[in-house]
Amino acid sequence: MSAAILTDTTKCVGCNECAIACKEVNRLAPDAPRRWGLDDGLSARNWTSIVEGPKRTFARKQCRHCLDPACVSACPVGALSKTELGAVVYDNAKCMGCRYCMMACPYGIPRYDWDQGVPYVRKCVLCYDRIRAGGRPACTEACPAKATIFGERDVLLAEAHRRIRENPGVYVNKVWGEREMGGTAVLYISNVDLSFLAGGHPGGNEPLPERTALAMHSVPFVFTGVVAGMAGLNWIIARRIKRQSEGPDE
Amino acid sequence: MNRVHRLKFALWLVVGLAAAVAAARFAFGLGATTNLSDATPWGFWIGFDVMGGVALAAGGFIMTAAVYIFKLERLHAVVRSAVLTAFLGYVAVAVGLLFDLGLPWNIWHMIVFWNPHSPLFEVGWCVMLYLTVLSLEFFPVPAEEFSALARVRRVLMRVRLPLVVLGIGLSTLHQSSLGSLFLIMPYRVHPLWYSPLLPLLFLVSAIALGMMMVTLESHTTAYLYRRKPETEALATLGGAARWVLLLYLAVRFADLAARGQLAQLGTAGWRVGFFWFEIAAMAVVPVVLFSIPKVRRSRAGQWTAASLGVFGIVLNRIDVGGLIHAGRGNVLYIPAWTEIAVSAGVVSAAALAFLFLVERFRVWEQRPADPQADPLTLPEFNKVGMTWLGVPAVAGRTVYSLAFVMAASIGFSLLAPQPVSSRGIDPQPVRRARGGQTLWIDGNLDGYGVSFPHEQIQKRLGGDSSCVKCHHMNLPRDRNSGCYECHRDMYMATDAFRHEWHASPAGGRQACRECHDPALPRATATAKRCEACHKDLIPAGTPIRVKQYHAMGYVAAMHGLCIGCHAQLAKQDGKPEFARCAACHRERRNVIDASVPATPEAIGRGILLPPVTR
Repeated sequence: MSAAILTDTTKCVGCNECAIACKEVNRLAPDAPRRWGLDDGLSARNWTSIVEGPKRTFARKQCRHCLDPACVSACPVGALSKTELGAVVYDNAKCMGCRYCMMACPYGIPRYDWDQGVPYVRKCVLCYDRIRAGGRPACTEACPAKATIFGERDVLLAEAHRRIRENPGVYVNKVWGEREMGGTAVLYISNVDLSFLAGGHPGGNEPLPERTALAMHSVPFVFTGVVAGMAGLNWIIARRIKRQSEGPDE
Repeated sequence: MNRVHRLKFALWLVVGLAAAVAAARFAFGLGATTNLSDATPWGFWIGFDVMGGVALAAGGFIMTAAVYIFKLERLHAVVRSAVLTAFLGYVAVAVGLLFDLGLPWNIWHMIVFWNPHSPLFEVGWCVMLYLTVLSLEFFPVPAEEFSALARVRRVLMRVRLPLVVLGIGLSTLHQSSLGSLFLIMPYRVHPLWYSPLLPLLFLVSAIALGMMMVTLESHTTAYLYRRKPETEALATLGGAARWVLLLYLAVRFADLAARGQLAQLGTAGWRVGFFWFEIAAMAVVPVVLFSIPKVRRSRAGQWTAASLGVFGIVLNRIDVGGLIHAGRGNVLYIPAWTEIAVSAGVVSAAALAFLFLVERFRVWEQRPADPQADPLTLPEFNKVGMTWLGVPAVAGRTVYSLAFVMAASIGFSLLAPQPVSSRGIDPQPVRRARGGQTLWIDGNLDGYGVSFPHEQIQKRLGGDSSCVKCHHMNLPRDRNSGCYECHRDMYMATDAFRHEWHASPAGGRQACRECHDPALPRATATAKRCEACHKDLIPAGTPIRVKQYHAMGYVAAMHGLCIGCHAQLAKQDGKPEFARCAACHRERRNVIDASVPATPEAIGRGILLPPVTR
């Protein structure tokens, strides 16, 4: 199964119930506006937030749980992983705090405990414990307007397309997350362009890990090539020097 | 003091300053000591310490390749110091990384938890292995001095060639992989720097940097120890560096052309300016200088070209490492002085280790004379120790220790207590709650508040006698002071007592002894309690005891007051929603306050609304 969330911004009224439920379920401490925070409401202690876009549209910002996540590919110790259910989860015990995941994420989602002596990376984990036990993420359960719903990715994708088809003129004809970055588990449909949720960049459809794949795959070949080349060069040069020094005798 | 002593003194000063900052870094976390943020998680420590450091240490594999693979015997004179610089450079990279990692004690996780997809994993492994190779390459030098190590030294000399080849392979990999790190950030790295060829560009520039660093280092130590620099050998190196830099320029501009970014070079903007500055310093000017034979063979020419090139390429690493990233929400990262201090401290410590080693072992053909061995510069110092501090000729451990301690104490005083303790929260003064029977509690007027049914709650808690259940302290001659009068900041503790004010004419110019017993040391603990004079300060029967006169932040105070009872009632009445945030935080309201001028900031914070047009 591939768990997913569909958020319909035309239904969201911006009540913040999702964010409050998230804090309660994940036992996140109260937060204050910090110097190192961004103005999107996310922080190490707020894993989801309501961002107000143009035309008084409310969109919920959270981890997209990419199908091929850049953070998972970037983490040198495998502290982030894509689980069988589709959630991208984080392992405190493995992390060494390099923050490469934060640099790699195209949506700028992971946040850091900048004020802690023992800091961790923090982000939405799609309530992995709850969905594994057959439940739903707290945010989708709390939403009074059913603006954000949980389900199978294929089912939700079909539902998104159905809503766009059956309500002509209401939605922008696009399901955000269907193809961006190789597809994400968190889908959006909206009446406005949602690129403000992604930090303003257009966002291609190519999964970002593919950009490093070529460089990483060529590592063994480059290494073997360089070592063999150097050894060979050394042998040739040494032989030539030996011949030259023997030369005058002949 | 001679040149070496002066330098060592300065280096110890920097190390001392860095030690103070390092203590704060580990005590208070990254937020208190860096300008890093969720928008720019990597900064100077990655750009300079790690990426710049690794590139600066490239001289090791370049020189071993030139001497042991290509048999360029002319360059043999500089190979030992190049290997030593590389070794210390990599140690500095590892130490610098420990400051930047959030959980540095977990650095060994890279050895046991593998993720071969990550370029950082590869860099980590290569650096670990290459550090081992470098230590084995350098070990024969100190081993010369100890006859007991002769056998180890012989074995190491026999495996030198395989070690050199391995070192070149590992260096090629991680010098280029430092560029691969950024391939995954096409939306973050500016298009003038982002390129699929970053690994190649990093490798080529590292090779040039290695050559120029060896040049720079040779001239610097020649100046310090009044040694003759290896100018002839370095001219060869400069000539080679020129071709490498030309290759770099060709690849970089061809890549920009292929990606259609050349047009952007003509545009305005500080990033474009940075690009040209960087290109000029790292490649164009050094290429020109190294191309003039007279300049290439002169000390001054070599020094100028090499230092420009080194500066430019390190700047390139800092740029790619974070400086020129497209900021999210226009957040611009500028390193804090504390970050630069730690980096400078790590470099200084490495330089001190370098000087220590070259003075004790045969790194060059001739070991520089130990300046401390000269009895004229250091008379009787060893016999009398500390008492010689006043004599200008004294140079040695005492002075260095003093420099360290002095700089560390200056560092501690420079670390402002405010940023260190405020946990990254700006001061936010609290405004009073407005309303009548129902109060609108929104201390910072951001529109997110709580509408608090004051009268209703008062009735429920027992009418007029219930005031003291919440109002636990009043201003003098006041009956029910508002919360905001003591809890004056949203998140930070504020002083509810105001010592200065009490001592001022407005406060009645209280003499010290009104509160402080002259026989006791003047301290909060020994002072008279406020209630002793202000009889009406603490209302009779209040269950909330004021323990100290630092009022906690407004938010914490409000939450502390309400949540306890709410949680209790939720359990008692079986209404779990009563204890949830949404029980109070239900609505967002745009507060209209006619007394606030309609500045854009006020509108942005919801204090005033622009007329709604729909």
